[in-house]
Parts: sequence; C-alpha cells; structure tokens
Amino acid sequence: MTKNNSSASQKFFGLLMKILPFDFRANYESEMSGVFEEQRRETAQRGGFMDFLKLWGETIAGIFRTAPREHWQIFRQDCRYAFRMMSNNTGYTAIAVLTLALGIGANTAIFSVVNAVLLRPLPYKQGQQLIFIRQQAVKMGVDDIGWSVPEIMDYRQQNQTLSSLVEYHSMYFTLYGHGDPDRVRTGVVSWNYFDMFGVKPILGRAFVPKDDEIGAPAVLVLSNEYWRNNFGADPNVVGKTFEMNDKVHTVVGVLPPIPQYPRENDVYMPTSACPFRSSKSHIDDRDMRMMEVFGRLKPGMTLGQAQGDFSTIATRLQSAYPKSYPEKIGYGIAASQLKSDLTREAQPTLLVLLAAAVFVLLIACANVANLTLSRMARREREIAVRTALGAGRSRLLRQLLTESFLLALIGGAIGLLIAYGSLQLLTDFAARLSPRAREIQIDSGVLLFTLLAAFATSLIFGTISALFSRVNLNSGLKEGTAGAGASQHRNRIRGVLIVSQVAFSFMLLIGAGLMLRSLFKMLRVNPGFETQHALAMRISFNWSKYSTSDQAKEVAKKIVDRIESEPGVTSAAVSSSYPLDPDVLTAGPNTNNFQIEGRLLAAGEAPPMADTDSISPHFFRTLGIPLIMGREFSATDDAKAPKVAIINQSMQRRFWPSADPIGQRISFDDGKDWWQIVGVVGDVHDLGLEHTPMLQVYGPLAQDGGIGTLVIRSVADPAGMGQQITNAVHEVDPTAAISGITTLDGARSESVASPRTTAALLGIFAALALLIATAGIGGIMALTVSQRVKEIGIRIALGAQPSRVLVMVLRQGLLLSILGVVIGLVGAYGLTGLIKSLLFEVTPTDPLTFAGVAFVFVAAALIASYLPARRAASIDPIEALRCE
Amino acid sequence: MVARTRAERSANLSKKIDTDSFLPLTPAMFQVLLALADGEKHGYAILKEVARRTDDKVHLSAGTLYGNLARLESSGMIAESGERPAFGLDDERRRYYRLTEFGRSVAVAEARRMEEALSQARAKHLFRKPETA
Repeated sequence: MTKNNSSASQKFFGLLMKILPFDFRANYESEMSGVFEEQRRETAQRGGFMDFLKLWGETIAGIFRTAPREHWQIFRQDCRYAFRMMSNNTGYTAIAVLTLALGIGANTAIFSVVNAVLLRPLPYKQGQQLIFIRQQAVKMGVDDIGWSVPEIMDYRQQNQTLSSLVEYHSMYFTLYGHGDPDRVRTGVVSWNYFDMFGVKPILGRAFVPKDDEIGAPAVLVLSNEYWRNNFGADPNVVGKTFEMNDKVHTVVGVLPPIPQYPRENDVYMPTSACPFRSSKSHIDDRDMRMMEVFGRLKPGMTLGQAQGDFSTIATRLQSAYPKSYPEKIGYGIAASQLKSDLTREAQPTLLVLLAAAVFVLLIACANVANLTLSRMARREREIAVRTALGAGRSRLLRQLLTESFLLALIGGAIGLLIAYGSLQLLTDFAARLSPRAREIQIDSGVLLFTLLAAFATSLIFGTISALFSRVNLNSGLKEGTAGAGASQHRNRIRGVLIVSQVAFSFMLLIGAGLMLRSLFKMLRVNPGFETQHALAMRISFNWSKYSTSDQAKEVAKKIVDRIESEPGVTSAAVSSSYPLDPDVLTAGPNTNNFQIEGRLLAAGEAPPMADTDSISPHFFRTLGIPLIMGREFSATDDAKAPKVAIINQSMQRRFWPSADPIGQRISFDDGKDWWQIVGVVGDVHDLGLEHTPMLQVYGPLAQDGGIGTLVIRSVADPAGMGQQITNAVHEVDPTAAISGITTLDGARSESVASPRTTAALLGIFAALALLIATAGIGGIMALTVSQRVKEIGIRIALGAQPSRVLVMVLRQGLLLSILGVVIGLVGAYGLTGLIKSLLFEVTPTDPLTFAGVAFVFVAAALIASYLPARRAASIDPIEALRCE
Repeated sequence: MVARTRAERSANLSKKIDTDSFLPLTPAMFQVLLALADGEKHGYAILKEVARRTDDKVHLSAGTLYGNLARLESSGMIAESGERPAFGLDDERRRYYRLTEFGRSVAVAEARRMEEALSQARAKHLFRKPETA
C-alpha cells in the first residue's frame, strides 16, 4: 500500500515538474524527486494527515512559485542569444523583419477597419435593440418607399414591441447670421430621436416633447463637426440665434463626436421646425412619404416578434386605406437590425480585404520560414554543438521559437507604425462604405490583434523552420560537410514553401486582377454626358425672401443668364440634381410611378417607374447629353404653357421601340395632369457608372420641381472657377448659398473611388505577394545552384553545354512556379465567387485575367531564375572541383 | 584541497562586482547560505538544517529550495562540490553544494546589513517595553 502511495506521489510529482523549464529539470529533476521522496517518507513516518496535506501544499506552491521565474530567466537568456544572432545576421534580420512588418501591418490596418465597422458594438446605448423599419412596394421592386406622417403615427400607436419609434429625414436649408449664408444639411427628427439612440449632448440639451409641438419656438442641435468647423468649438454657442426658413432658430445643444445615422448632418431640428414636415398638407397626407423610421425593441423582444407585430399593423392599414396601399404595389414592411444596416454595404469589401491581408501574412510566413531554413543550413554546426552539449529537441525548438517571436514582435511593432500611417487613408476609404468609419482607431483591441498576429506568425514560421531543420549530429559537427540527406530534405521543404507562396500569391493576384479589370470596365463606361470642362454645385435660396417657388425660379433664371455672360462660360443651367451627384448616390433617385396615355395595365401588373428631374433650358447642352430626337426645352415652356417632358433612350426603347414617342403623353398623378413628350435624349449613368440607366423623365423647371444644383460648361479647366461663379451668383442674389462645388470629372472620379481604393489595396497586397514569391524563387534557385556547384562543374567538364545548364536551372524554377500556379488556379477558381458582388461586367472566372496572371507568374519565375541559371552556366569546372 | 570549479572561477571574477548589488538577500537564500557555512551539504540536508536551525519556522519545499539553489549557483555564491561520500554511503541522485568565497562575502555583507539594522533599532530603543497607561 505504502509502495503504491509512493509511486503515485512520485508520478504526480513528476507531472508537476513538467511545468518547470526543460533546462531546470535537466539540472535538478532527479535531485528534487529524491528530496521530495525523503520528505514524503518522513511525513509518512509521522503519520499525520495534516502534515501530508501541508507537504503537498508547500510542494505545489513552491513549484508554481519557481516555474515563472525560471521560465522568465530562460526567456531572457534566449532573447539575449537571439539578439546576438540577429545582430550577427543583419541582412537576414532586416529582410525577415521587413517581410513580417508588411504582412502584420497590412493585417493590422485592415483589422482596425473591420474592428471599428463590423465587430465593435454600436456606440449607442444597447445598440442591439435598435432597428430600422422600411415600408416596401415588393411587386414594384422598391425596397424602401419611405413613410408619411399618418403612417408613422399609426405604427407608433399600434405597435406592441417597441419602446420608442422615431422619424428622420434630411434636407438642405440656408442658415443666416453667421458670416456668409450657409447651406446646412439638416436632420429633421422626432423630439426623442437622440434619447432613443442614447446620445447625450456634450453642451446644452437634446430636444424635449414641447419642441415637437406645432408653433413651438424653433430650436437647433449642432453636430460636433459643424460646431468645431464653423464655430471653433465655441463653448458659449448654446443660446445663440440664427435665421433659417424665415424663423429665428436658437441653438439648444451640441452632439458628441459619434457616427450620425443614417447620414451625417450639420444641424438637427425637431419636426415642428421643418416648413415641409409641419405643413398641414404633409401631416394629413398618407401618401406623402419622405421620412425614415427607427425603433428600439422593448427589452426581451426579438426582431422576429417586431416583424410579426408590424405585419399585423400593415394588414390593418391595407384594409382601412385600400387607396394608399393598392394590391398592385405589393405593400410590405421589413425590419432589420441597425448594426447590420450600418455595415451591410461595407461587409463584403472589408472581408475580401481582410482575407487578402491574411494571404499576404501567410505568404510572408512562408517566405520567412524559407529564409530561416536557409539560415539553418549555416547554423547546422552551432545547433549540432548545442545538441551534443545536451540541449534537447524541445529546448532547441524553444530557442528557435523565441528567435521567431522576437522577429515577429519587431515586425509587428513596425507593422503597427505602417497601420498607423495608413489610418487616414483607410478612414477616407471606409467612409464611403459605412458611417462607422469615424470610429476607426488603433485601440486596445487592435493592439491585441497585432500581438496575436505576431505570436501566430512566429508560431507558424518558427515551427516550420524548427521542425524541418533536421539536425544531423555527426555531419553537423564535421566542418563543411552539411549532410546531403538533410540538405535534400530541406530543399524539398523549401520547394513546398515556394509552391505555396506562388499559389497564395496567384490567388491574390487573380483577385486584384479581377477588381482591376472590373474598374477599367467601369471607367470605360460612357457616362452619357461630357465630364470635361463642366462644373457643378449645390445652390439654395432664401425661403423667407421668395414667398413662392416661382419667384425663386425667376431669380435662378437671372443667375443662369448672369453666369452665361461670364468670360470662359459657354452655357449654364439649374436643375433638381446632376448626374453622379454624391447626394443622389447616397439618398437614391427621385422615382415616381407613371402611366402612358392609352395604355392599360394588365391585371396585377405594377405601374412603371421613372427617375424624374427638373431642368432649365440649357441643361442638356451644358452637360453634353445628346438630343436623339425632338427638341430641348425652351424659355417658352413656362408655367402657363402646356406641360412637356423629355425622356431618355431607355424609356423610348421600352415603350416605343419602333414608334415615335414625340407627342405621346404620360401622367404621374393618375391622369390629372398629362405631360407631352417633346424630345428624347441619350441615356445617362445618373446613379453610378456600374448601374444601368433607369427610365428617366425630364421636366422643365418652370413647370414643376425645385432647384437644387447649378451646372456650368466652360471653355477652359473649370476647377478654379468656383469663386468666380459664386461671386456672380451673389451679384444677383447675395442670400443664395453655394456649396459642394465640384468638376464633373471630379464627381465621376469620386463615384468610382470605392472600387478604385478596393482595387488599389488588393493590387498593393498582390504586388507585395508577387514580389515576395518571386524573391523566394530567386533565392531557392541561387541556393540550389550554390549547393550543386560541384555537380554542375562535373557536368560541364563532361561536355555539357552551358546553354543546357542554363535551361536545366530555368526549368527547375519554372517547375516550382507552374506547380504553384496550378494549385493557385484551383484555389482561385473556388474562391473568386466570394468577390462576385464587387465585380462589374467581369465574371469571377474571367479567362483573360486567369491567363494573364498565370503568364505574369511564369514570366516572373523565369526572370527570378535567370540570374542563378546564368551563374550555373558560367561555372568553371576546374574552379568548382578545386573548391571541393 | 578542493578543485576549483568553473562556477568558483566565475565567482572569483564576480567578486569584483560589489557584493552589495545582491543585497538584501531573500530570507530563503540567506538561510541556504547559512546552512552551507559550516560545510558542504546535499539538498535534503540543507532543508533539514534550515528547519532545525529556525525551529521549523522556515520550511522550504523542494521547488523553493532548488529555485534558490539555481539562483545562488548561477550567481556564483554556491558551487557543486567535487567530493562525494564513500561509495556505500552515497546516493548518486544527490549533489553536494558548498559555499564559495564570493557566497561567503555576500552572506557576511547580508549579516552586517542586518546587524546594522539591529543596532539602529537598539539605538532608537525600539525594543523598549511599551508604556502602559
């Protein structure tokens, strides 16, 4: 029994010892076991159970106290050794650190974006309870038809699942009383909008129920950016008054720097202060839908329950107001988590970029592992000596892993600097994808990621190089005779690493190639208008100065006449929007249902929809949109004249493919007013080059619609004409606000900024990968040649032509790259489907891209192998044999 | 004459290093040095000697003892003895440790430090009986 106890205790003691470092155990394990055995025997003789427990307690505590200190000692020792090795091999260290820095830096940078945009919880109070609710016209394919005031009231009163439901819409107004008239983007919101999001102003207060009452004094809350940029972060801004929409508005609060959802605004006002939202016609009209709606789920309620709740209300409304919800539109309601809505657009792009960055890191790992293996060959003797002196395999592994970890840690630190340097660029890029971009920063989560990336990296390349560096003790100790078997084995491993680098690089290059092809196709799209020599800007008039929109239009006409007389201007026009207008790209088109005179819809057929724009006479001329048939609008198409319209070619092809549309009539209000078609113009890619042009109807500004933009065509480059035009506008109307001045070239370039940056980032990653892989092929070929000097020397001595030697080496390099390309081809074929949603007119398996990239790789491998091959071909057999 | 080991040679070198840089020693280290002051001992004997001399107040476990032995050995204060008991009395698992000259000077410096502290405490009448109210 005692014997059994003794052996069990020894076993357990032996297990405990395992937490001590190998070196320590090698030195003291046997002695410690002896001491413990004697202590145990003595305690057993005394026979006390408490003594026995005390012995174990002290023994366990003693080992756990000693282990961390001993591990730390060895780590310090290994670090000192590693630093010595690094300073003795500065070339290797610099290349390895730089490769790892690029790999880890790329990952850290992309992760900082992914972390801020996709991973972190919303910066709102209990953000998971916030939802976005959309009314839909399913049969017409419209995802979001907006909300009218009566609908908001109905859902607010009848729902059982929300603790609050708020409305939002955004408009431009002109703010007076602070320098030049300032065109401000204004969020019009329910009084409890900020309360629902849990946003507390940093100055003053948020809105209160009283602010929302019709006739209440108008109040404003400033966004943090507007307050900083326009008021120099004035702490006394609360209480200041400004004029807007013919009313005095008092600033009551300033928001903290948070992402504004659904989009950034300069200021916020309650619904009572918006002249449109507070008008009686708006409040009573169920079909006047212009708002967006958000809600907060009651605690314990799920999205599914809320969806069911809303569907019940929708059914009730459909039967109560059949005219507002006709069967033909397929009225429906959909709720989604606010977080998924905020990140929906960004997710595919960011995940693709993160995957690309991980590929780069894997390629970097393979490359450093390869470098380390090459260095191992040179360190063979040193390692063999250490092994002979008693260092076990695990001890050597630990030493090598410490070296790897230090390399990766230094690489990680430099990578962090790279990520920090690219933060602004990435924030600008991500801002096009999600309002959460402003949350991007290098925080503790990102730092932890970098540390983990460095650790994982060191583990991958350190383990590969340590495990595959078979040390042949005998041959290692014999100076200059590296074991042939070991070196062949290492060469095979190196070959595998190179092939995997080529395969991963190939997949990355395919991804980048597809994105680039897609971008070039997008850039080659004819936008349908002439982007050169054209300038566009937003223009707002003073509502209080012009009591009717006709008066504003009269002033707009004077402004256009005045600008057309400016030197260098060939024509000008005003319109509701212009093609590729960033505001329209964000908010979507102004679509309306219409009917064609004399054409009846089939049962259940949804009425057609068209994007509508109001324009002044010289609009097409100014933008260079070709007139296909009929005529442009003229000054005579005024409010008193019969209503006229111009349609685009898509609309003509769809409804009058072989007939003349001129003279046909269309109506947007169920036949109350009819608009006669007087012309057909070319299609314009209004909503982005990648989008097929919609059906489009233009109407004269004088007959309908509002003025939003001013467009100018100039003789010379219009980039510097902004101030000249603004001055000309102010000569006619000093209260008109001008903002968002851009050339149409700029607007076009900005519209493809997101795919361009994605392609650029993927391109950088792919170029990096190609460079690393090519350098790897060159390196291994050079090493192989240096190992085969004697053999090649003999071949040449026996009559082999240098050209044959050259071909032999080139063939070997080519073989590695072809193997990698074939594996990469299979991988890319399976993976490129993931970026399908990011591509434009390019299939994920585009044969041209695949063939092109394969060619690039084979060419790169040939170039990389050429120098070593030339060296092999010029080996002097006598010299080679003498060396041996 | 005991052959000088590598540890001892390095200890002599390190003598140049100020012994004060090792002060204060941990109680366990000081007790181990004291235990070796009157002759070389193996691990278990050190452990027993410390327990006996401190009336079991200082109780070293195997882990703590060998952690301290490793530190003392690597800093040259103790060294493995080359001498072993007669064949019949020897346990081959045991190793015998002895105090080096450097270890002795560190132990002396520590003792002086404690003595100094003690005399300062005396000068300040720290040991006076507390006054009763």
